[in-house]
Amino acid sequence: MQERLYDLIFIVRPATPEEDIKKVLTTLEHTVAEKNGKIEKTEHWGTRKLAYRVAKHREGIYVYQQIRTEHGELIAELERRLRVQDVVIKYMTVRLDEDIKRQKKLGGKREKRAARRPKRTATPAPVPAPVAAQEPAPAAS
Amino acid sequence: MADEQRQSAPSGGGHGAPRREGGGHGGPRREGGPGGGPGGPGGPRRGKRQFFRKKKVCKFCVEKMDMVDYKRADILSQFVQERGKILPRRMTGVCSRHQRWLGVAIKRARNIALLPFAGSASGTQQPRQVVPAGTAPAHAAPTAGISHAATPAAAAAPAAHEETPNS
Repeated sequence: MQERLYDLIFIVRPATPEEDIKKVLTTLEHTVAEKNGKIEKTEHWGTRKLAYRVAKHREGIYVYQQIRTEHGELIAELERRLRVQDVVIKYMTVRLDEDIKRQKKLGGKREKRAARRPKRTATPAPVPAPVAAQEPAPAAS
Repeated sequence: MADEQRQSAPSGGGHGAPRREGGGHGGPRREGGPGGGPGGPGGPRRGKRQFFRKKKVCKFCVEKMDMVDYKRADILSQFVQERGKILPRRMTGVCSRHQRWLGVAIKRARNIALLPFAGSASGTQQPRQVVPAGTAPAHAAPTAGISHAATPAAAAAPAAHEETPNS
């Protein structure tokens, strides 16, 4: 099976100490390592306001990771682990690779078009100049 | 001199008008709506000029984005209404392709509490501030009787008040 890229975001309770977040992260790392996955990125977004109440909290600490793996079960396993964690109030995984593939395709198309086009763009536009010259005169007198 | 000034001033405006009318055909279509009002008393500007609409351009096309990122709540929030509804394309000028992606991105952002499903963040907080604002028992007695007949907005408040005496 080909490799796939996933986004994993989870929100922990606002008053969670750093160590607990670390603990969650290490468990995730272990699970990922077991299935030969790879954590590409880890970002701490810090405390953010939630758009709606989650588990009676209005704020939460966001942690974002990008994970590359061949095994879909890994994601199921990660989600299971997150669900069990008490400090995690919300999580989401999104498959990204198809979006990125589409993005690359479109980017390539645009470059091709740009390479074809540049001859046309050299036409000047002299029309607005006389009008602009007339208008300030009456206003000044 | 005075005559010259009077004539030249409107003509200056006149120069602007025809050009714009020629450019956008948005004018005539909307004439039936709020048309009469603003054009009314003034002589020099005749109607149509007000209805020149700027041509809307897809923001994502301008910035050459090939992906609408659901993590950028700051961008996405420009394309939802205050209460969290996704704005239609005709309002924002987003092209169909990007609108499609935008919808997906907004829905993803909603799932992870970056954007509201319904109601803005401030909207959800307001009732919360009202309820504990004291004087609950005093208000609760008179409003409790009427609460069924009251408007939905008013009915919500007494319902909250009624809870407090019971507890």
